[in-house]
Amino acid sequence: MQLVLQLLMSGILLGGVYALAALGLNMIFGVAKIVNFAHGEFLMLGMYAGFWLMVLTGINPYWGSPLIAVVFFVLGMAFYWGIMRFTIYSTELTQVFTTLGLSIALQNLALVLFSADYRTIQTMPDGMSSLQFLGFHLSTDRVIAFFFAMAIFAGLILFLKRTFTGRAIEAVSQDLMAARLMGIDTQKIFLITFGLGISITGVAGAVLVPSFYAFPSVGTFFVLIAFVVVVLGGLGSVTGTVVGGIALGLIESYVGYFSPDLKEATHFILLILLLSIRPHGLLGVKGAEKETLK
Amino acid sequence: MNWLSDYFDIRRTDAIWTVLLLAMTLGLPLFISNNYYLNVLVLVFLYAGMASAWNILGGMAGQFSLGHTAFFGTGAYTSTLLYNYLGVSPWLGLIAGGIVSMFFAVIIAYPAFRMRGVFFAMATLAFGEAIRILLIYSRKFVDMPYGLSINWEPGFSRMIFEERSSYAFLTGGFLLIVTLVAYGLSRSYIGTYLRAIRDSEEAAVAAGVPMRRYKMIALLISAFFTSAGGTILAQYVLYIEPTSVFSINYSIDLPLMSLIGGIGTVAGPILGAVIALPLRDVLLELFGGAAAGMHLVIYGVLLMVIVIILPDGLIGGVKSLLRRLQRGQTSGNRTTDKRGRK
Repeated sequence: MQLVLQLLMSGILLGGVYALAALGLNMIFGVAKIVNFAHGEFLMLGMYAGFWLMVLTGINPYWGSPLIAVVFFVLGMAFYWGIMRFTIYSTELTQVFTTLGLSIALQNLALVLFSADYRTIQTMPDGMSSLQFLGFHLSTDRVIAFFFAMAIFAGLILFLKRTFTGRAIEAVSQDLMAARLMGIDTQKIFLITFGLGISITGVAGAVLVPSFYAFPSVGTFFVLIAFVVVVLGGLGSVTGTVVGGIALGLIESYVGYFSPDLKEATHFILLILLLSIRPHGLLGVKGAEKETLK
Repeated sequence: MNWLSDYFDIRRTDAIWTVLLLAMTLGLPLFISNNYYLNVLVLVFLYAGMASAWNILGGMAGQFSLGHTAFFGTGAYTSTLLYNYLGVSPWLGLIAGGIVSMFFAVIIAYPAFRMRGVFFAMATLAFGEAIRILLIYSRKFVDMPYGLSINWEPGFSRMIFEERSSYAFLTGGFLLIVTLVAYGLSRSYIGTYLRAIRDSEEAAVAAGVPMRRYKMIALLISAFFTSAGGTILAQYVLYIEPTSVFSINYSIDLPLMSLIGGIGTVAGPILGAVIALPLRDVLLELFGGAAAGMHLVIYGVLLMVIVIILPDGLIGGVKSLLRRLQRGQTSGNRTTDKRGRK
C-alpha cells in the first residue's frame, strides 16, 4: 500500500513537470494550428539557460525564472516574426519542415556552444534534496517544479479567461476568420501566443534542469513526451494538458517501477492507441484532430 | 480548358525531369573511380530510391509518414539476422524483410489511417520510436549482440562486393526500379486515385474511390522499397545496430528530400537527394573545421529558407518561375493555402 501511494505521489509530481513541458506546444498548436517540432529544442535552451544562470551568477533557476521568462518571451516573438510568420498560411508539410529545420539548427548550435556534455546543477544543499512528507520520500526539486507548474497553469487560465488579450487569443484559437472579422489583430495575437508559449517552455526547461540532465539532443526526448501529453489531454486544451501530463506521469511511475526498460515504449504505444481510439484526447474538442486539414 | 493543359504539362515536365536526372546520374559509376565520390553516389542513389518510396505514400497519397525508419530498420535487421544465423542470401533476405515490413505496415495502418495530416505524422513517428525501443528490450529474452556485423566475404549471392562501383550499380538499379514503379503508379489509375485522396478524402470517397484500399496499396509499396533500402545499406556498411538503423534521421531525411525536390512528383525525391546529401558534405567540408555541428546549424537554417521560399520544392519553384516569365506577372500561384480557402 505504502508503495502504491509512493508511486502515486511521484507519478503526480512527474506528471506536473511533463504537463509544464508540454504546455507551450499545446498553446501554439491551439491558437496557430502549428505543431512545433522545435518545441523540444526551446525546452533544451531553457534547460541551458537555467544551468548557466546558476553556474555563472549563482542564482538558482527558481529565483531566476522571471528573467528567463522575459528572455524567452522575446525569443518566442522573434521565432514567430522571423520564421513562422511566413508559414502561418502554408501547408502543414511546410510548417513541419520549417520547425524541423529549426530544430536541427538549434540542436547543433547547442552542440557548438555548449558541447555534448551532460550537465545538471544542484540547487538544494545536501541534506535537503529530498522531503519527508507523511512518510513519503519526495524530491525537493520535483516538488518545487510541480508548484511552478501549477502556478503557471493557474496564471495562464486566469489570463485566458479574464483579460481582453486572453479572450482574443481564445477567439483566434476557436475561429481565425471570425476573430479577424471582429477586428482582432491576428498578427499581434500570434506574436503574443508564440511569446507566451516559448516563455513557458523556457521556464519549464529551467526548472527541469535540477532533476534532468541537459544535453543538446535532450529536446528529442521531451518533444515526444510533449506530443503524448498533448494528445492524451486534448489538443488546444489547457486543462487537458494538466490531466494528460499527470496521467502520463502516473503511467510512467507505475510501469517504470515494474519494468523500467518498457517505460519509453509505453509512451509511444499509448500515443498510437490514443490517437486511434480517442484522437481528440481526454478533454479535447471532438473533431480537433481534423482541424488541421490543408 | 486551361487546367487540363496544365495537368498534362505537369506530367510531361515530370517525366522529362526524371529521365534527365536518371540519365545524368546513373551513368556516373562508369566514369568515377575515386572512392570518396563513389561513396557519395551510392548514398545518393540509395536515399533517392527510398525517398521515392516514401513519396509514393507521402507525396502521391498525401499520407505524411514520419515513421519510415521502422521499415528501413526492419529491412536491415531481417536480412542481416537471416544471413548471419541461417546463411540465407541477402537477396532473399531483402524480399523477406520487405514482407515483414509490409506486415508491420498493416499493423500501423489500422490506427494511423484513421488520422490525417500532422496526426498521422505523429502516430507514425511514435511507431518508429516504439519499434526501436521494443527491439532493444527484446534483447532481454533472446541472445543477440547489440550490434550485428556481417563478415566481409565478397560474392554476388552474398550481396557483398569488392569494388565500390558494384555497390553504385546495385543502388543505381534499386533507384531505377523504384522510379519505374513510382512512374508507373503515377501514370496509372492508382496514381489518379491516390492524388484524389490527397486532394480531398471526402470528395474521393464520394466519387467512389475505395480510399482505405488504395491508401493501403501505397503504404505497402512504400514500406517494401524502404525496407529493401535498409537491406542494401546493411550489406554496404556491413554493421547494424538498433540506434543506427532505426534512427529517426531516416524518418526525417526521406520526406525532406521529397520536399526539397518537389513533393508528389516522380522526379522530386531524386532531385532532393541529389541536392541534399552532397550539400551536407560540402557544408561539412566548409564549416566542419570551425566546430563540430556547425555545418548542421547552417544546414538547418538553409532547410528552413528553402522550405519557406519554395513550398512546392525546386521543381515547383522552377515551374512557377517559368510561368511568371511567360506571363510577365508577379503574382504567385500557390496551389495550397490551408486557411485562405475558408
